[in-house]
Amino acid sequence: MTSTTHHLPPRIKLIWGLSALGSCAALVVITALLWLTYRYWDWPLWITIVGLIITLAEPLIEAGLIPYRYRFTRYQISDLAVEMQAGFIFQKRVAIPIARVQNVTLKAGPLLQWQKLTAVSIATASTNHNIEGLELAEAEQLREQIMRLAQEARHDNA
Amino acid sequence: MTTPRRTNILGLIQHIATSIKDYWYLFVILLAQNGVPRIILWGGLWLMLFVFLIWPILKWVTLTYAVTPDALIIHSGILVRHHEHIPYARIQTLQRKQWFYLQPFHLEEVQIETASHEEGKPEARLAAVPLTVAQEINRLRQAAPVSDPSTPDVIEDVPVGVPPAHYQISLADLIKFSLTSLIFLPFLLVLLGLYDKLPHSWTNLLVNEASHLAILFLIGSLIIIIGLTWLVAFVGTLLHYYRFTLTRDGDQLHTAKGLLQRNTISAPLDRIQALRFKQNPLRRGLHLQTVQVLLASKAAAKDDDNDLTILPVINERVARDTIHPFVDWLPTQAPNLTELQVSRTWYQIRNAVLIILLPALLIAWLWPTIGWWLFPIWLIIAVAAGRFAARHTGGSRLQHDLLILQTGHLFTLDQTYVPLRNVQSVRLSQSIWMKHTHLAHLTVNVRRGNGNQAIRLRYLPQQNAQAIYDWYRTHS
Repeated sequence: MTSTTHHLPPRIKLIWGLSALGSCAALVVITALLWLTYRYWDWPLWITIVGLIITLAEPLIEAGLIPYRYRFTRYQISDLAVEMQAGFIFQKRVAIPIARVQNVTLKAGPLLQWQKLTAVSIATASTNHNIEGLELAEAEQLREQIMRLAQEARHDNA
Repeated sequence: MTTPRRTNILGLIQHIATSIKDYWYLFVILLAQNGVPRIILWGGLWLMLFVFLIWPILKWVTLTYAVTPDALIIHSGILVRHHEHIPYARIQTLQRKQWFYLQPFHLEEVQIETASHEEGKPEARLAAVPLTVAQEINRLRQAAPVSDPSTPDVIEDVPVGVPPAHYQISLADLIKFSLTSLIFLPFLLVLLGLYDKLPHSWTNLLVNEASHLAILFLIGSLIIIIGLTWLVAFVGTLLHYYRFTLTRDGDQLHTAKGLLQRNTISAPLDRIQALRFKQNPLRRGLHLQTVQVLLASKAAAKDDDNDLTILPVINERVARDTIHPFVDWLPTQAPNLTELQVSRTWYQIRNAVLIILLPALLIAWLWPTIGWWLFPIWLIIAVAAGRFAARHTGGSRLQHDLLILQTGHLFTLDQTYVPLRNVQSVRLSQSIWMKHTHLAHLTVNVRRGNGNQAIRLRYLPQQNAQAIYDWYRTHS
């Protein structure tokens, strides 16, 4: 089997955008609470202002980084290993030999479910590695493949 | 031994001691209150009697165990009854502790660890049982087929018929080990922290009465404090590791140590994930090393932070030869670590300085008088630590399936031998700036206890780090 490098499905960008909105909403609530502490408990105003700045800046940065995040997040599966790659400024590559994979978990929150995507978590005896989102069919195929290869690898060892 | 029976009555002491250890502070708080109404005081005393005596007695009465041919069965619980069946094949490590007062009665405490992911406490604990119980469990365990569904990957065929091996620490080595122990440092920090908590009137009084002697007094008390904590640590280590022995029989490794409490740990060899040779700054000067094994079980959870010490102290020249009979995959010749050697020290020095900078500035700002004096000292320590780390980072492939990694963290040298099959994953990282300098970080993940031990080698030559990464990816 040839190994090729894959990008995540493009719809993941939508999910990331929505989760940036979600963190915006959460930050708005926190800032509102901070404002209440200023109004009723006489906490200093600057705490609220800092909260407000974070509320504005964090989602913008998160949203702004989406194209970058998408472009440099990749994964690759060969007969021997699963590889994941992320980041450009801080580039990381991790290799997990198929023979070390203990289990593969697919999980999807409401957003991923709505987009028919799923996150894949690959566990070894000591570490966990995540692929943030894959097409459902692709993820299931990946799981089958890893589990099949893992079993073969184990038979080879025995 | 198949009918359930109670542990020996002496085990009660253990239960009482545990209660006292867990709840003593509540009663100190209660008794420290002034002008407590009589009724509350009496209530407190009755409660004390209940917690420290009646509850442990009930615990002891309700705990029964049976060693049956296929599982260890333990019934426990006062209100909620637990019935636990532990098949012998599931036992990862067996720990035996014998307090000196149990010795004349041929009793000991037995702790059993399994792969279940409950942190912090052993699966089963029998406070005082005859020595035959652990022997019987060990015998049944050797007979039981080894099959552990939770961690199938770490199982390896152990050659049958390996000759048994034995090692016992010499008194001279034990004394060297205790003398060079650095465990007094944390205590020292706590004590120095307390010094700051002394009422200012006391310290002022002393300083005022003999202001010209103030510096002398400060230095003198510091030396006394260091000496005392060091002495306590020395005696503690001596008692803890007294008559340390390591034996191998079949596929089991046993360590035994301790004077007041004899502590025996048995772990299967196939649970060993990695071997680690450690050297603190004091031992570096004397060419002494400590050897530990990283186990895929929480063998010595409280004892050594999951790492079972198999040789407390040994001259670095004979360390590998001494270990080889116990762990046969360890090569006996000294490794060449140049493959993963750091080429430049500047980056690690810079990082160490950056890490120390903020706390050092904070200290200088909070205690301006002494803080600014300390500032250059912090910097010198940071530079030295960074330089040490950079100079001692190294590693290489040994044979076709063994990796050796060396790091130097806080002046402690750490050499880890990991068989490739025990490396769970490898991560290669590089920032955009490191592209120009052709450097990269390599992280090797190994199972340790029920968690992960990440061994990080920083600022390696990119080409060699990449080579190790590719080798790992294609060879496991």
